[in-house]
Amino acid sequence: MNKSQKQLISLKINGQEYEFAIHPNRTLLEVLREDLMLTGTKEGCDDGVCGTCTVLLNGAPIRSCLYLAIEAQGKEVTTIEGLAEGEKLHPIQQAFIEHGAIQCGYCSPGMILTSKALLDSNSMPTEHDIKLAISGNFCRCTGYNKIVTAIKACCQNAVGGH
Amino acid sequence: MEDLLYVGKSIPRKDGPAKATGRAEYTVDVSLPGMLIGKVLRSPYPHARILNIDTSKAEKLKGVKAVVTAADSLKIKHGFVETPRYPADQYPIAVDRVRHVGEEIAGVAAVDEYTAEEALSLIEIEWEELPVVFDVEDAMKQDAPEIHPSHERVNEPYHNIGGKTANSWGDMEDAFTKSYLVREDKYYCQIRTHAYMEPQATVAHFDYSGKLNVWTSSMGVFLKRAKLARTLGLPYGSVRVRKTYVGGAFGGKIDLFSHEYIAALLSMKCHQPVKIVYSREEVFKGSRHAQPLIVELKTGVAKDGTIVAQQIKTINDSGAYRGSGVVVIFLAWGFAMAPYRVPNMRYEGYSVYTNNLVHCPQRGHGAPKMRLAVESQLDMIAEELGIDPVEIRLRNARRPGELLPNGDSVKNFGLIECINEVAKSTDFINKYGAAKREREKDSKIKHGIGIGVCAYMGGSLIYPNSSSVIVKMNDDASVSLITGAIDIGQGAETVLSQIVAEELGIPVEEVQVDAADTETTTVDIGSWISGLTWVTGNAAKKAAAHAMKKLLDVAAEKLKENADDLAVRNKEIFVKHSPDKKITYAQAIAASIEKNKGDSVIGEGHFRTMKEEPTHPSLATAKGRWTENYSCYAQVAEVEVDTETGIVKVLKVTTAHDCGFPLNPMLVEGQIDGQVSMGQGQVLLEELRIEKGCIINPSLLEYKIPCALDMVETAYIDVITEKYSKDHHYNSKEVGEGYVAGVVAAVANAVYDATGVRLKQTPFFPNKVMNGLEQIQKKKAR
Repeated sequence: MNKSQKQLISLKINGQEYEFAIHPNRTLLEVLREDLMLTGTKEGCDDGVCGTCTVLLNGAPIRSCLYLAIEAQGKEVTTIEGLAEGEKLHPIQQAFIEHGAIQCGYCSPGMILTSKALLDSNSMPTEHDIKLAISGNFCRCTGYNKIVTAIKACCQNAVGGH
Repeated sequence: MEDLLYVGKSIPRKDGPAKATGRAEYTVDVSLPGMLIGKVLRSPYPHARILNIDTSKAEKLKGVKAVVTAADSLKIKHGFVETPRYPADQYPIAVDRVRHVGEEIAGVAAVDEYTAEEALSLIEIEWEELPVVFDVEDAMKQDAPEIHPSHERVNEPYHNIGGKTANSWGDMEDAFTKSYLVREDKYYCQIRTHAYMEPQATVAHFDYSGKLNVWTSSMGVFLKRAKLARTLGLPYGSVRVRKTYVGGAFGGKIDLFSHEYIAALLSMKCHQPVKIVYSREEVFKGSRHAQPLIVELKTGVAKDGTIVAQQIKTINDSGAYRGSGVVVIFLAWGFAMAPYRVPNMRYEGYSVYTNNLVHCPQRGHGAPKMRLAVESQLDMIAEELGIDPVEIRLRNARRPGELLPNGDSVKNFGLIECINEVAKSTDFINKYGAAKREREKDSKIKHGIGIGVCAYMGGSLIYPNSSSVIVKMNDDASVSLITGAIDIGQGAETVLSQIVAEELGIPVEEVQVDAADTETTTVDIGSWISGLTWVTGNAAKKAAAHAMKKLLDVAAEKLKENADDLAVRNKEIFVKHSPDKKITYAQAIAASIEKNKGDSVIGEGHFRTMKEEPTHPSLATAKGRWTENYSCYAQVAEVEVDTETGIVKVLKVTTAHDCGFPLNPMLVEGQIDGQVSMGQGQVLLEELRIEKGCIINPSLLEYKIPCALDMVETAYIDVITEKYSKDHHYNSKEVGEGYVAGVVAAVANAVYDATGVRLKQTPFFPNKVMNGLEQIQKKKAR
C-alpha cells in the first residue's frame, strides 16, 4: 500500500485528541500499540476470541483487534492507560491487586476494562453476571476465582460508599 | 513459628500496579529504534529432504534487510537434554532435512510485516518427500520409517527410540503370584497446548560492540543464554538476555526455540534489532506442545488393598526431536513411586520419535498422566475389594521419614493428613455412597465425587543447578535485591522481597528488585522444575542475613555490646535490655564502610539442593537422588454429569496439600486455582487435533480452554509440615505444577462415581461419556 492511500483521522483516546494519517485497513489495536505506543492493550489471538485486546468504546467493551481505527472516530476510546489518575489507581485496579486477581498480568488490562464496563452498567451484579461479563476474556493463570472475588469486592466497596 | 512480619503473609504482588495499569513491558511491547520485523519460513512437509534453497528473489525485494538459512549458521545441534547417551539432535534451523510440519527453514527481516511475509513467499525450495509416521505405536514397529537413528546403547526390539528409562526392584514374578488381586489397564493422554496468553516473542539486537542483546518470553534467562551462546558460537559474556515481563509459560517457554535463534542470526547479519512475534495460529502450528503419554499399568494388591507390585510401561511421542521426551519418561517413573509404597516395581519408559511437532514440558510434566492411571486403577481395585477410596489410599500412602527407591527421604511428608483432611472436609464417604445410590435412579443429572493424590519433587539438579542472590544496602538504608529469577506470574519477585524484608526488618515495598538479566544479575535455576521459591528463596535469605550480620557486627562495636544482645526494629539496631541504646541502619552502614575503608555493605547468598551429591540422577536407570523436598496433596473433585448430553461439569475441587508452609498464602492459592482450571481443561475440554502432522484446530476458538463460565469453586486446606526460622535455611515444597495431576485423577474418579463410566483416555468429551453410558445400558439389557 502506498502513502497516498493513507487517510487523516482523529481519535479521542483517554480524553486526549490525536490526529494522524493511517492506512484505513489498520485495526484500532495496531494503531494503539504501534502508532501511539499505548502498549497496555495486548494482542492475544488476533481472532477476536481471547479478549486480551479489549478497550472501551463509549464505555462499552470491544475487541480492538477486530475494530478498524477509522471506525472509532467521533467516539471515546478508553484504554488501560486511561484508568488510573496519575499514581492513584482505579478501585478495580486496586481490587485486582489486593485480591490476587493478577498473575502473569497479560490478560489484566482487558479483564479490568471489561469489569469496569460491567460495573458502570450494573453496580450490583450477581456472580453469574460477573462470570458472563468476563467470559470472553481468557485467563490461563488464575482459574478466574480471584478475579471474580476482586470484582465482587468492588461492588461491596460501592455499597459501603468507598 | 516465630513472629514473622512478612513471610507467611498474603502480601499483594509487587508488580501488581505495573500490570494493572498496562505499564509492565512484555517482550511483545519491546520496541527499539530501527527495529525490523522478522518472520520464519516453516516446512509444509512432515518429513522431507531439502535439496536446494534459493533465497535470491527474497533478498532482492525492497525493504528486506536480511535473509538467513542454515548456510548462515554454524550448524550446531542442541537439545533439551544433552548428555553422552542423549546427544543434541536438533539444528536450530533445518540443514538438509525436516522432520515435522512447521520446522524452521529460513528467516527474513524486513521493514514491515507485509514485506517480510512477501519475502517468505519468494524463497524457493526443492524438496524430496520422505516416508512418514505419526502414530507413536506404529513408529516403534520394525518397518516404520527411520526418523533418527536410535542410540547405540538403546538395544530394543523397537524402532525410533529416542530414549529409555528402566528401573526395577523386588521380585516381580513372586509378588504378582502372591497378590490377592491383579489388574491391568492402559491409559492414553491427548496432546494439549499451554495456551499462554502472550505468544512466543523475541527481540534480538546484535550491536556494534559485538554483543547480542535478547528480550524473550521465557522461563529462565540463564538457560536461554547458554543455548544461544553455544549454538551461535558466541562467548556467554557476549550474549545478554534481558528482563521482560512474561505473559504465561506453564512449561511451554523453556529450552532454546528456533525463532530465538533465527532472530539472533538475522540481527547478526544486518546489525539492526529484529523482532519476531508469533501469531496465535503460529503458536498452534509452529511451537511446542505438551508431552502425551501412554501408560500401561499392572498392579497386584493384597486382600486389604495394600499395593504389592506394579509393572509400568510408558510410551511417549516426543515428536520429531527429543524435546523433553526422555525427561517425561523418567519423571513419570518418579510420579509412580513417590506418593505410595510400592515394594516391588518394574518400570520401562520409551520416548519415541514421530513426524509430529516437538513436544515439551507442561505444568506437571508426566504427573497428570501417571496419576490418572494409578488413581483410576486404585479406585477400581478398591471397588472390587469392597474398600472405600479413602481407606485404600491411607493404607498405601507413604509415611514421614520413608526412603524412596532413589535414596531421597520424603521427610515430613503430610500425605496421610492431607487424605484425612480432604475426606473429612468434603464429607467424602457419605457423598461417595450417595452417588452410588443415585446412579441407579432415573435422574438425568448424576452427581459424583472422586479423589486424586500426587507427590512432587522440587528444585532438582538441572542446569544451572543453583541460585545466587546479592543484597545491597545503600547508604540511606534502602535495599536492592539482585536476582536472576524471572517472575512468570507466580510471584517470584514478591516472595523473594518478602524474605529479604523479613531478614532485614524493612517493609516489602522498600526492597527494590533488579531481576532476570544475565549481565547484571546473578545465576538462577529459573522458573521451572518447581524450585525457585525454595532454592532462590534460600539464596535470598542467606544474602540478606549476610548483609545484616555486617550491620550487627559494626553496631555491636559502636554500642559496646554483644551482637547476640542486639535486636532490630524500624531500621534501627538497639540493645535488647536497654532499648534506648541504638543506632540507625544508615549509621551502621556508614560505620561499616568507614571501618572497612570504603567497602560497601553487600550480602551474598548461594543455594542448591544436596550440595554433597556430585551427580544428577540417571535418565536411563532412574538411579541417583533428585531433591530434598517432596510436596504432596490429596484433592477431591465434585462433578455433575448430564446423562442426556454427556457433558461433565466440575462443581468444586478441594485441595489438602503439604507445600511445607505457604510463604505467601494468597500466591499459593492462586497457583492451586490455576492448576484446578488447567486440570479441568486437560481432563474435559482440551485436545489438539492433528492430521498428517498438521494441527487442524489452530485457534482459541477451536481449541477450547476454560473460560469464566467454567470456573470451578475451590477450597484449600494447608497441611503445614515445615517452618521458617531466622537462623536456618527453610524447606518449602513444590506448589505450582503437580496439582494438575490430582485434579485430573479426581475428576476421572468422580465421573465414574457419578455414572459408572470408567474412561481411560483424556479428554472426556461428551461423546465418550455417552458411549460409556450406552455400553452400560447394553450390558443391563443383556
